[in-house]
Parts: sequence; C-alpha cells; structure tokens
Amino acid sequence: MQRSWTWVLIAAVLVGLLAIGLFSGRFVVYLSMRVMILAIFALGYNLLLGRTGLLSFGHAAFYAGGAYGLGLFSIHVSQNPLLGILVGVILACVLAVIVGFFCVRHTEIYFAMLTLAFGMMVFSLIWNMREITGGDDGLVGIMRAPISLGFAGIPLNKTEYYYFFVLFWFVLSVGVIYLIRNSPFGLILSGLRENDRRVEFAGLSVKNYRLAAFVISGTFAGLAGSLGALLESNTDPFSAHWSHSAEPILVSLIGGIQTFAGPLVGSVIFIVLREIIERFTQNWMLWFGIILLVIIMGLRGGVVGGMTQLFQRVRSVSKSGGNP
Amino acid sequence: MTVPLLEIRKLHKAFGKVVTANGIDLTLEKGVLTSIIGPNGAGKSTLINMLSGSLPVDSGEILFEGKDITQLPIHKRVRLGLCRSFQVVNVFPDLTVFDNIQIPVLAVRKRGTRLFRPVSGEKETHKEVYEVLERVGLENVAHTPAKVLSHGDQRLLEVGIALAVRPRLLFLDEPTAGMNPVERVKVLENIKRLSAEGRTTFVIVEHDMDIVFSLSDRVVVLHHGDIIADGTSDEIQDSKQVREVYLGEEVME
Amino acid sequence: MLESIVHVCLAGLSTGMFIWLVASGLTLIFGVLGVLNFAHGSFYMLGAYFCYTVLSVMGDNFWLGLILGPLCVCVVGFIVERFFLRYVYHLDLPYQLLLTFAFVLLFDDLVKVVWGAGSISSPMVPGLSGSIPIMGRNFPVYNLFIIAVGPLVALGMWAMLEKTWWGRIIRAASSDREMASAIGVRVSALFTAVFVFGTWLGAVGGGLAVPYVGLLTPGMGETVIINAFVVAVIGGLGSLKGAFLGALIIGLLSSFGTRYLPTFDMFLTFILMAAVLLWRPQGFFGEAA
Repeated sequence: MQRSWTWVLIAAVLVGLLAIGLFSGRFVVYLSMRVMILAIFALGYNLLLGRTGLLSFGHAAFYAGGAYGLGLFSIHVSQNPLLGILVGVILACVLAVIVGFFCVRHTEIYFAMLTLAFGMMVFSLIWNMREITGGDDGLVGIMRAPISLGFAGIPLNKTEYYYFFVLFWFVLSVGVIYLIRNSPFGLILSGLRENDRRVEFAGLSVKNYRLAAFVISGTFAGLAGSLGALLESNTDPFSAHWSHSAEPILVSLIGGIQTFAGPLVGSVIFIVLREIIERFTQNWMLWFGIILLVIIMGLRGGVVGGMTQLFQRVRSVSKSGGNP
Repeated sequence: MTVPLLEIRKLHKAFGKVVTANGIDLTLEKGVLTSIIGPNGAGKSTLINMLSGSLPVDSGEILFEGKDITQLPIHKRVRLGLCRSFQVVNVFPDLTVFDNIQIPVLAVRKRGTRLFRPVSGEKETHKEVYEVLERVGLENVAHTPAKVLSHGDQRLLEVGIALAVRPRLLFLDEPTAGMNPVERVKVLENIKRLSAEGRTTFVIVEHDMDIVFSLSDRVVVLHHGDIIADGTSDEIQDSKQVREVYLGEEVME
Repeated sequence: MLESIVHVCLAGLSTGMFIWLVASGLTLIFGVLGVLNFAHGSFYMLGAYFCYTVLSVMGDNFWLGLILGPLCVCVVGFIVERFFLRYVYHLDLPYQLLLTFAFVLLFDDLVKVVWGAGSISSPMVPGLSGSIPIMGRNFPVYNLFIIAVGPLVALGMWAMLEKTWWGRIIRAASSDREMASAIGVRVSALFTAVFVFGTWLGAVGGGLAVPYVGLLTPGMGETVIINAFVVAVIGGLGSLKGAFLGALIIGLLSSFGTRYLPTFDMFLTFILMAAVLLWRPQGFFGEAA
C-alpha cells in the first residue's frame, strides 16, 4: 500500500519539476536550480553524516574543487560543459581521496577538526593564489557552451535550457544515491554508525568503508560545485569556507538526517524560506538560527522524520479505532 | 601431522609494571571445547584482546592454522576465521536482529562492496541469515530492533553475530554474564549443540564454574599472566594448586 | 635587520596573547564540559560591542566598559547553557556543534539589529595610546599592554585551578564526571558556572579588542574563533598550558608568515593544525587520547 504511494509521489515531483522548467518565469527556474544543486550536495553529504555517522566540516572544499576545476578548465582549455563537469568532479574526487586518507583514521571531534583544517587549507590556497583562482573575486566569465551531439548542439546559455541540464544531473544523482543507500554497502555504512568496532569484527576494514563514503559524498559535492559554477557563471572562494560546509548539515537536519528524502526536503525549505525571509528582513540568519534551535531542542527527526511519525500515529489510531 | 588450530608462543604483555601475559605458550586443537578461567586480573581479557587483534603484543607470536597473525589487523584475522564475542553486549542497537546478522553475512560472502544493487535482493545472503538465526534460536524476533530485545536474547544475538562470519575459532567472552538461570541454560545448550556440529571450535572465558565444568573438554587456568594449570575438567577440579589460587575468590565444588 | 625581527616577534607576541585570551575560555569549556563552543567567537564579539556601548553611554571610561561589558555577556552565556546546551549533552556530537552554531547565526544577526550592520570605529584608550620606540622603530603601547595582560591571565587561571577549592572541583569534574557527582558535587551547576566563566573570558577578550582592532564589525567573531580553535587543538584540547603555548606559536607563526611569506600564512596555520591532529592529537600538553 505504501509503496504505490511513494511512486505516485515521485511521479508528481517529476512532473512538477518538468512543469517548472517549461512554464515558470526565470526567477522560479533559477531558484529551483539552486534547490536541486544544494540537494545534490546535501544528499551526497548525508550519506556520510546520516548513514555513516561522520561529521565533516571540509566538504565545502570538494564543492569548491568541482567549481574551480570546471572554471579553470572552461577558461583555459575548453568550454565544453560535459568535459568541464568531468574535470570538476574528478578534481573533487581526488581531493576527497587525499583528505579522506588522512582523516578517516580518526573519529568524532578529531575527525571534525581534521576535516575543518584540510578544508580551510583549500580555502586559504584559493584565497591567496590570486593569479590562478582570482582570489576574493573568484573566477568570472564561465560560459555555458552548447553541448554538441555531432549533428546538432543543445544550447545551454539560456537559463531555461540549462534548467533541464541540471534536472538531468539531479535525477541521476537522486537515483544513484538511493541505490547506494539501499545496497549492501549502505547497510554496512549504517553498521559503522551504530557500532564501528563490531563492523571490524565482522571482517570488514572500517577505514576503507569510511573512506569510500567520504569520497562518494565528496564527489557529489564536486558535481554540485561544477553545476553551481555553470549556473552563476563564476566561482566564489567562500564556497570552500567551513561555514559553507554547515549548509548541507543544516539542510539535512531540517529535513531529517536519518531519512533519504530529508536533505531534499530540507533544501527546498532552506532556499524557499530564505527567499521569503529576505523579502521582509535582512536578518535571515536570525530566523534560521531560531529554526535550528527548535529542531535540535525538539524535532530531531526533522520535517520528514516528524511527518513519518505523524502518519504512523494517525494510522495506528485509525487501526485501533476500528478494533474493539 | 596436522597443524594446530591456534598456537601461541611466548606471548608477553605488560602495562607498566603489571605483567598481564608472562611469556605464555598455548596450543589449541580443533574441536576441543576449551575454557579459560582464572581469578580477576589473571589476564584473561588481555589474552582474548591480543588474540583477536584489539591489543598489540609486546613480544611473542600467534599462529593461526600455521599462519603468523601477530601483526594482522582485526578484520583480516576475522577473514581468516578467528573471531570473538564480547562480554558487554556489542550489537547494532537501532538495526533489526535480521540486519545485525546480515552485516557479517554480507561481509563473509564478500557482498559488502555492492553499491548499486538493493540489499533486499540478496536472496542467498538472506537464506544464510535465517540459518544463523535458527542456530541461535532468534528466528522469531528477526524484525525487532536489537535494542528492544531482552538481555538474554541480546546475548544470543551477540553470539549470533560472531557465528555469522563462519569462524573456525571463536572466543566467547563471558557469554552468560548478567543472565538469569533460565537464559543461562538456553545459551549453554546452544553452545554445546553448536560445538558438536563441528564447524567452529569454541574457547570460552568464564567465571561461572558450573558452566565451565559441565561444558568443557579442556580447562586452562590463568593466574597473573601465567598458565598454572591445563587439563580436563576432572583434572582441574581435583587440582590443589588451582583451589589455592581460588581460595578467597570463589568456592569450587 | 635585527629590529625587523624583534618587531615581528613583538607583533607575534601581541597577536599570540590576544588569541590566548580568546582561546582560554574555549579551552576551559572544552576541558570541563567536553563541548566545542562555536559560539565562543560570538561571546567575544558581544563582549566588544557591550564594552563599546558602556564606553559611549557612560562617558568614555574604558575600564568601566571592560568590567560591565563582559558581565552583560555572562548573562547571555548563562541563558545559553542553562536553557539550551544543558539539554543536548547526552546527544551526539553533531547536535552539540550545531546548537552552538545556531547561536552563532543568532548572535551575528542580533548584533546587526541592535548596533547596525556597518562597522563602528572604536577609540583608543587614553593612557595606553600612541607608540614607543623600540630599537629605533615605533611599537604601539597598547600592544605591549596586551603582551603583559596575557601571561597575567594565564597566571591567574593557573593559580585558581591549582590553589583554590573551586579549581580543585573543576579539575575533578573534568577528569571524572561521575565520581565528582558521587562525592556530592552538583555537576550541572558546576557546568553552568564554568560555561559562564569561559564566556566571561571570551567577552573580556572582546572588550580588550576594542582599542586593539580599532573597528567593530558583526563578523569579527568568525576570524577570531578559527584561530582560537587552531590554538586549542594544537595545545591539546582541554589543556590551558597547551593553549597558552599554542597561542604563542600561532601568533609568532602568523606574524612571521605575514612578513616573509604573505601568500601562505593562513595555509601554514592550518597545516600545523592538521599536523598536530594527525601525529600528536593530544597536542603538546593534553592527555593521551
């Protein structure tokens, strides 16, 4: 009964996303792209946080790796967006392997601090190496060249067309992350979160599995960064700052860390809410601080977790109502 | 001339001035249910920790089926067939009983690296998980979260997880700790039956003398890091030296 | 050549002592409560703003501001611990860190609401203004003041922890919470007290910053907190001695870096942090993990 509802929901969301791309005005399209890009970042990140139980403050560096990788490639070599994304993702992946190698031997606070240190190393390099990265201005003028399919080209320069490009990567990412999460590998990651010592005694190398989760989430961060750079046509050095790492954490928390859809829902809420708040006041951080406080103090399941509990309660009430 | 299951040569471990393993020599044979006993502080836990890999040795060698495993990391020893269960229940609390067993089964079947296939499709794995659950008698609670189980069932799960990796040598660290008599009997019967099956050799660290003498083919007595007695249940029960060591610690029948 | 090095050293010492003042509260809170308080930079910032307000409202008396300002921040710190942080001690690390981060967001914007989003220039303290020539070059008097205050604070904290009854209880509770509670220490009240004290230290750091940085901005906590973190880590999380030494090292490193290797000075700080975490996670003085 529940599974068919899930498919209906997925279909509705897809139709909705397609409709946005076809019929909405430029601003809504732009906003939706930002949601999807953030969702890719957060979904990948939550594989590490929610599933494996590791808190990393360095993932912003991989996002920036994707952004700057694509940016530098686009400016100096070729504007082909597919190749650019490949370069960005590979750079993010390699960075994640290197950083992860050093970090996954440690846990909890040391892991968090190590990832913060490495992340800020990347930030400081981007900030200081002006000639290469543009320093605090970032790289500007990243063009969205058309994708050539041999006989024709798909133009991406118009926001509306680029939307479908992003939508493609979004659906792909959601699908892949869903598969990973529900695979044997995903179950072992849950085991790591629950009891990493026991996983070791099941005959598995805890370090290797942690590293794999780290690299996978870092790679998706890189994909998000590349897509973001193409969207904004420039890069921002602060995308590597540790405070940017807080975004996927926040978003996953709002939506529900232990759920699959949590980061997705959280991304929508985060971006939409921020837009709304910014209409009325400059002080969106104040409101997000309050929301975060409320969630941590009371609603740790996040929105999705809370709603699931609600549905279960409604269902059990109606069931017991039917039985004398 | 068969290679012994486990051979320990001059195993030594000291924490500062306290020597917990004093150049121990020990050989374990396949199929012999052995108990390791000794008063508190005798070095039993240290020995298990060194053999399973959580504690590095100061000096000495550990040979498992002839292979030197002294420097091997924990997960590699498990893959070779040497495993342990824990005195304090050490399971995956929020996962179901089924998933608790599924993780080690996936590991031993080398299916842990599958990223793109759903875990619900692992039919062979699931069959094996049910087999393990039946062997420890937990098949009825397969879909309950582990933290909800009674203490006795959690201990059975504890042993189940250790068995799921198909160990040839399994160290059980105080498997009946904190159990009531009924649960205790259940666990013991399970161990007896599993030992008779012949797939796994059990080595039990225990405090309860009833269990030790009713269950074991062989009893090894540790005291301050030395083996002071090694023989059949009857031999150890009759040993005056062992009785002296235990005087004031426990009364032996 | 020599006076260059001496001046760079002095600059490094004053930077270092300044960082120490901020890091001391952070380290104390981590050592006793086990919480890494992201909001510590906010307390520093609030200390600066409150101090400035007292200063401008009550007639330019810096010392009065330095006393009253941090006391106001203590009230804030009390509210944070008593009504929020206390309830998340038993939760996983991410939740604790995110709670303190939520307060960072809150305070950053609150400051903008109350004092405006722009920067406020802060006056120098009469009596400590100007500079004196050292080896032919001028060095700010206030910086010398900071160099003197740092070790005084360190000495004061050492004396309190080692010699007073209070200090003994704090040390006991930080090494064994359960035992302390068993012998009758009201651990929750102690935690609140330590948190407030740590907040006070951070706020005093902020107050002292008012003449030092010359400019108050809502973002001033962010830059400082990172350095304080690095210092707390390399000194050994929870070790005050280590934090003092770590602050000296980072201050000098930063000063020499700015002078001779300007491109890489931030990078060097973080590489040092990573190196310590990897090879000596207990820092230079912390206990082995």
